[in-house]
Amino acid sequence: MSRRGLSWFAFVVVSLSVLVFAAVDQGSPATNADKAYALAKDFACPVCQGQSVAESDVPVARTIRREIRVWVDEGRSDGFIRDQLVSNFGEDIDYTPSSSGVASLVWILPVVAGAAALVGLVVVFRRWSDEPDLAASADDEAVVAAARKRP
Amino acid sequence: MSNSSLGAASVALGVAAAACAVVIVALGLSGRRPGWFREARLLAWVMMFAATAGVVVMERALITRDFTVAFVAEHGSSQTPALFNVATLWSALEGSILLWTLVLCGYVVAVVVKFGKQGDDPMLAWAMLTLFVVAGFFFALMVGPSAPFDRFDPPPGYDGPGPNPLLQNHILMAFHPPILYLGYVGFTVPFAFAIGGLCTGRVGEGWLLATRRWTVMAWGYLTLGIVLGAWWSYETLGWGGYWAWDPVENASFLPWLTGTAFIHSVMVQERRGMLRVWNLSLVISTFSLTILGTFITRSGVLQSVHAFVESGIGPWLLTFFAVIVVVSLGLIAWRGDELRAPGKIDSPVSREGAFLANNVLFAAFAFVVLLGTIFPLIVEAIDGRTISVGNPYFERMTMPIGFVLLFLMAVAPVLPWRKASGEVLSDRLHWPAWIGAGSMVAAALLGARGWSPMLAFGLGGFAGGAALRQVALATRRQGWRGLVGRTNGGMIVHFGVVLIAIAFAASNAYVRQGEFTMEVGDSAELSGHTLTYEGSHVTEYSNRTEKSARILVDDVQIYEPAIAQYPFAGRTIGVPSVRSTWTDDIALSVLTFPEGSDDTVVLRATVQPLIVWLWIGGLVMAAGTVLAVAPGKRRRPTAPTSAPPAAHEVAV
Amino acid sequence: MTAPALGSSRGAVWIVVPIAIVLSLLIILLATREPASERAINFELRGEIAPLIEGEGLDGVWFDIDDHSNQWVVVNFFSTTCVPCIREHPELVEFEQRHAPRNDVVVVSVAFDDAADNIVEFFDEFGGDWPVISQDTGSIAVAYGVVAVPETYLIGPGGVIIEKLLGGVTADQLDALIASAGGA
Repeated sequence: MSRRGLSWFAFVVVSLSVLVFAAVDQGSPATNADKAYALAKDFACPVCQGQSVAESDVPVARTIRREIRVWVDEGRSDGFIRDQLVSNFGEDIDYTPSSSGVASLVWILPVVAGAAALVGLVVVFRRWSDEPDLAASADDEAVVAAARKRP
Repeated sequence: MSNSSLGAASVALGVAAAACAVVIVALGLSGRRPGWFREARLLAWVMMFAATAGVVVMERALITRDFTVAFVAEHGSSQTPALFNVATLWSALEGSILLWTLVLCGYVVAVVVKFGKQGDDPMLAWAMLTLFVVAGFFFALMVGPSAPFDRFDPPPGYDGPGPNPLLQNHILMAFHPPILYLGYVGFTVPFAFAIGGLCTGRVGEGWLLATRRWTVMAWGYLTLGIVLGAWWSYETLGWGGYWAWDPVENASFLPWLTGTAFIHSVMVQERRGMLRVWNLSLVISTFSLTILGTFITRSGVLQSVHAFVESGIGPWLLTFFAVIVVVSLGLIAWRGDELRAPGKIDSPVSREGAFLANNVLFAAFAFVVLLGTIFPLIVEAIDGRTISVGNPYFERMTMPIGFVLLFLMAVAPVLPWRKASGEVLSDRLHWPAWIGAGSMVAAALLGARGWSPMLAFGLGGFAGGAALRQVALATRRQGWRGLVGRTNGGMIVHFGVVLIAIAFAASNAYVRQGEFTMEVGDSAELSGHTLTYEGSHVTEYSNRTEKSARILVDDVQIYEPAIAQYPFAGRTIGVPSVRSTWTDDIALSVLTFPEGSDDTVVLRATVQPLIVWLWIGGLVMAAGTVLAVAPGKRRRPTAPTSAPPAAHEVAV
Repeated sequence: MTAPALGSSRGAVWIVVPIAIVLSLLIILLATREPASERAINFELRGEIAPLIEGEGLDGVWFDIDDHSNQWVVVNFFSTTCVPCIREHPELVEFEQRHAPRNDVVVVSVAFDDAADNIVEFFDEFGGDWPVISQDTGSIAVAYGVVAVPETYLIGPGGVIIEKLLGGVTADQLDALIASAGGA
């Protein structure tokens, strides 16, 4: 293997091991405060305009934040907390659209569109690169030759 | 004459000038009055005069507190400090449309000055017609649904409430909206030339070359405007965040995404003559999205902290959006045959291949953001339920796109056009790749964990390394000129993007927030920082009363977050205080001073790493844009890159 | 370059038409939406069993809503700094006094994001002689989905939520609701 090749090999090994290490070793575990804060960001403050429970300062947001913390301290699961808030405040408190029913379209459509774009791109590439260079007529060649001769 | 009458007169003058200009240019184009359209150039100046007069009159009314103007009565106040008094113009709907119109007229005059010499070129005439129609529309808005100069009969001793308190407590409010408008409105020019190109059938390079710098400049302003807006949110809203995927933020981000796609794919068209329809669509989408964004911001149809109060302007903007869409799609359908591109792509592993991939990703990004923003409306229309789409959705959907874009940003600049061999790639990407690996190792040693921020650091280092390599090569070859010109300036912009990407990943992944109820003398710990509450004090200002908490941070310095009460506006807002360093930020805000106890405070503290690099990254992007539009190395006119494509590109 | 002109022109139409349809739908959608401020607030709890309310009142007596399952219960969420709460308070007092002789109704106040000292002061000033829960009320408020005070819930005998009233209430309004729900 050439030196360059060895270096690339070392690069792959180093990068992958750092990534795997970073994914496996979580460092200091998240505290309950951190978990509660992360959860609060996933819910809309019911009376605010476009702010999450974590962001807003109005009483209801403060109250919900405190309750989320209580639930986290009790060891409740994220799913439990989500279900509680949705059943008490309504579906629109949840910033994560449901993955069933009409709401799931918001997840599916981009994936479908992305896949379609990818297929389109591949087709276009095919067509572009399959087109033989026949388009270069004698006239074209002459033009190119003339252009090349020009200093 | 009163300010109201003067203002109304200048708006009327603007409408009249725009209408005359439209008629004259149309007559000129119809062939009945050839050459007439030159005369319309004068009308551009008249429009500019009218808009300037409107703004000057409004500012005079605001500064002299002339409450006979309804806008001043509703949004001005004798208590507002001087700077924010000037900025009151863009803190409410009617004034913001006035400013928008002034910026637009500025661009129209700039086009007249720049292209005036081209005389009777019909493409220019069509472009001017488009510009006049758009300007006329905005002047017309000020006659009907968004009249800034309505009269008000103030009772004796009347004083207004002043602008929204959130809009008068930070200096950035003086810069963020005008710069954002320079960006938004700037896209009108390439749009007008795109329409001109479609109407005349000159769909090749002409309109592109003519407006390339304008587009890049507008894009630069939009970038800076968005970053300043994020900075303003961070400094004033007090939740320690800067980007919330809020509908109004998304509305400014959408044209940025399509605009970014355009300034990349336009290079493919210049170089290879391809992607004509695509580029036209991108320019038109960008402009339409600015109008759609204006609609979202101003119609009250979606909820946002940034939105203006809901008003009757919505249907007008939506109609205008519809007209733009219909006209543009019609023209593209009509010219479809002539838009067929002559070029072809040899290999996906090439510069043009990378640009294509870039465009697909930016388009997907824009689609996700648009869909997420309007999706609650779609669901409501289908089955009547109200749902929300927020942070978790946008983060989950855009993160993978962001990663691939960072990767492309690393690879694309070193890819040659047409075809790249593995050897060339291995050679050119070797050091950038190691810089990426090095940043991951460094981040891990500094304690960074989690695969996604780590991947962002690695790809960021990779992309930064690739940009560094390009800049180093260019400066070695050309000296300081290696920093100037589109490609080199573009690499500086890439540096800015890398800084923002790394800072975004780090601050999102390692944010820590805590809420503390503290008595005087209490200390709290957060993420290795010590916060000590040393007491509170009250300060009276002309427009507000502030109760500040004295917080000693890390036993070194006092920071004073506060709660401000604006008696005239009848609102109480938080005034955060931020300690910034190169490595991390502590944002402090007072949630409440509980009533009944004088020495207690409920404090929120947010610690985030690398925040300051977001703003630095934004400034680097702006600087790179300036370098990119500065005249760089002149291309010889016969060089194949700027010659019409048909002759050369067919076969080489 | 001339041969494909017709075909590609049709091709352009094939692309333009679907885009036009999608965009038309978008415009219709945006044009027909109510402004965000006028959309209804969800109320999920009507007809459900009322969530638990228990806690120590200001007088030190423990309150548990289950002890009142044969009465009408009016749950009033309030805070001392909220103006509509101050305005509606005399109406609650009036309502409570009307029903005191019959003992068919119990009013219970639940403080929302407020300090206990303020609440004592509030009841001293404005009157009202019924259970007031002031400590750790966050869970109760979240369980009822309270978003902004004052919010008042009418719970029928048997513990089913009859109605939720936003903003201030009046004594007559509460009586009318009880009557229409089949009460005395």
